[in-house]
Amino acid sequence: MKENKEDREPKIVGFLCNWCSYAGADLAGTSRIEYPPNIRIIRVPCSGRVNPLFVLKCLMDGADGVLISGCHIGDCHYSEGNFYARRRFAILKRLLEYLGIDSRRFQMSWVSASEGDKWSKLIKELVQEIKQAGPNKSNDKKHD
Amino acid sequence: MIDELKIKARELLKNKQVDLIIGYQRASDGVLAMPCFVDREEDVDKLIWDVYCVYNLANYLKDYAGQKIGIIAKPCDVRSIVVLLQENQLRRENVYIIGVECSGVIDEKRLRLGAKDIQESATFGVKCKSCKSSTPSICDYLFKDKEKKGKISEDKDEYESVRKLEVRSSLERLKFWEEEFSRCIRCYACRQVCPMCYCPKCVADQAMPAWFSKGANLKGNLSWNLIRAIHLGGRCIDCGECERVCPVGIPLRELNKKIEKDIKELFKYEAGANVEQKPLLASFDKDDPGDWIK
Amino acid sequence: MIQKIVTKEELYKLLNYLLQDFEVIGPKELTNRGIFYETIKNPQDLYLGEGFTTEPVKKLFLNPSEWFFKCQYKDSKNSLEEIALTKTKRIIIGVRPCETKGLELLDKVYNSEYKDEFYVNNRNRTVIIGLSCAKPDRNCFCTSMGGSNVESQGTDAILFDRDGKFILEIITDKGKEILGSIGNEPSEEEKKHWQQDKEKRKDLVKTKIKAPEDLDKVFEDPYWEQVSKSCLSCGICTFLCPTCHCFDLVDEQRRRLRCYDGCAFVDFTLQASGENPRPTKKERYRQRVFHKFDYFKKNFGENLCVGCGRCIRYCPVKIDISEIVDKAPV
Repeated sequence: MKENKEDREPKIVGFLCNWCSYAGADLAGTSRIEYPPNIRIIRVPCSGRVNPLFVLKCLMDGADGVLISGCHIGDCHYSEGNFYARRRFAILKRLLEYLGIDSRRFQMSWVSASEGDKWSKLIKELVQEIKQAGPNKSNDKKHD
Repeated sequence: MIDELKIKARELLKNKQVDLIIGYQRASDGVLAMPCFVDREEDVDKLIWDVYCVYNLANYLKDYAGQKIGIIAKPCDVRSIVVLLQENQLRRENVYIIGVECSGVIDEKRLRLGAKDIQESATFGVKCKSCKSSTPSICDYLFKDKEKKGKISEDKDEYESVRKLEVRSSLERLKFWEEEFSRCIRCYACRQVCPMCYCPKCVADQAMPAWFSKGANLKGNLSWNLIRAIHLGGRCIDCGECERVCPVGIPLRELNKKIEKDIKELFKYEAGANVEQKPLLASFDKDDPGDWIK
Repeated sequence: MIQKIVTKEELYKLLNYLLQDFEVIGPKELTNRGIFYETIKNPQDLYLGEGFTTEPVKKLFLNPSEWFFKCQYKDSKNSLEEIALTKTKRIIIGVRPCETKGLELLDKVYNSEYKDEFYVNNRNRTVIIGLSCAKPDRNCFCTSMGGSNVESQGTDAILFDRDGKFILEIITDKGKEILGSIGNEPSEEEKKHWQQDKEKRKDLVKTKIKAPEDLDKVFEDPYWEQVSKSCLSCGICTFLCPTCHCFDLVDEQRRRLRCYDGCAFVDFTLQASGENPRPTKKERYRQRVFHKFDYFKKNFGENLCVGCGRCIRYCPVKIDISEIVDKAPV
């Protein structure tokens, strides 16, 4: 039987900056705002800490999507970390697309500590998008 | 022209302006060139300069950190020296750039792939066809091309092949790259030949954490080639060496060119153009495009 | 030995028939990429010309990425699962004599006193049909390494292309079993002609070198530093060598992997303590030359080099091992 794309629950890895997005996700939780449980959160000091290797490893090891989330531009706890992240991952996003890896699988967002609402809405959208992209086939790839 | 070069080299060594000169010499087959390291005046006569001098010698500069090096550099090689200077890998006073005006070098890869004779393969490298300048942007001494051949550039769209690939469907692109990368044998020649790859410990060699498979399998190969390209983002100056040396013929320049094109569009940045400029990923602009971020 | 004259059509027809029971592997030309051994679905795709494959046939016997076993943790129990050996019978066609000579040398390591089950399995399930060299290039020096560009040297059968046809020499029973049925017996005159041709072809290998008897004397010579200066420490020469067989064992995601290792790499003999007995290019390049022309000779009585020229042809900076060995200051 053909697997229905919409039915399968995707796994998403989220790299969240400690100061804004992690607190934002926390706020969503404490405020009892519901959002899909598909995201596995990894807390990092700053979105600027995230290395393209992290994203790559997630995608290659079978994550259906990767999200990097940080403070809004201008609000970085370290003043400029997210500026660097923005440049770095703009390149990665385009390169993934170029290699034929669905670029919906890699997303970035700015979510502040007060934006529990935004966080919940974001994840709902993200899960929908990644469901449309379908399961990540990287684990089926010949690994020998 | 070569006599002028030898006189200059001898003078530099005699005056102790440099400890070593990195240049080209004839290879054992009597036709092609190979790198040459001259530290004594009597060896200066080994030096050559012609269309067979394809190598980017800037790659050797990291082997001689702290010494005063004279280096024979084509315009494209000079761009990689510029990046090394931007990234503080090199002190300007330690390198004496003997720039050469270049009208293109041979397509060594095509020769290797069995072009019938040298003449036939003496078509110029693909990188030369989109070369923008036949004169090095910075140098301490410039050897002028007496014949004034100028650049051989065909003034074609240098991103033509990238664009062609971009418009194909996502699945086609994936298939294309998977086919190419499946041949990768992980010899890391692309890394070793690159002047910009100077990390003391490459991520590919790390065991803890191991970022991707060490074996030559598709997943490992995909990761390796992707991360190599990403690490060169904003640093690759398109000397084309990686593609030239790849024994299994992976079109690595198509990756490098793609990033080069993107950063031009996104950040109006060109690698290796200006020593004073900060490296692309070590700087930012408040108005960098962010519309793709949610 | 059986000699036969076979037309291209006959050969293709036979291969088509054999495709039912065998995996047929042979050289295939990829535009602007080179020539590679690939599984052949249609014999017309075979490249049986003068060019050489980029990778040697070694790749099909020593897998560049060989999984040994995987571990599992299930129901609070650890278990090991061995990876099953591939049993498919296969025919590799278009293999140069130097490459199979390389296999004979690898046999001394992997298939004599110690038997590597993966390698031995691959050897046993394979029939090799060679292809003689009609046009050795200037990097070839097989005749100086005790080999030949026209003799079988370990193939089950060997093809010689001549006037648009093939002369087929069947050497082993394995070869007879699959190739015995095709072709016609050549006449005595043709046989004589062919013998003359063979001699002529041998002379086409122009590069002659002399490997020194005892390299050990010059172990400490500054020569090695001089010749290795331009080395980039990449793995091309070792990975593309038909005889290089160093490997690395890695544990990855609960699986054990054997992959190639090469003495040119910076971390070739890097120890866990951080100590590296071969810290610079000089030691590592010398290791390559000595393993081939000294250590192996002392252990097995032969040079670990077949003179295929791949390491010279593909070296990014044109380091020429034949010249370096020939001019070694002994």
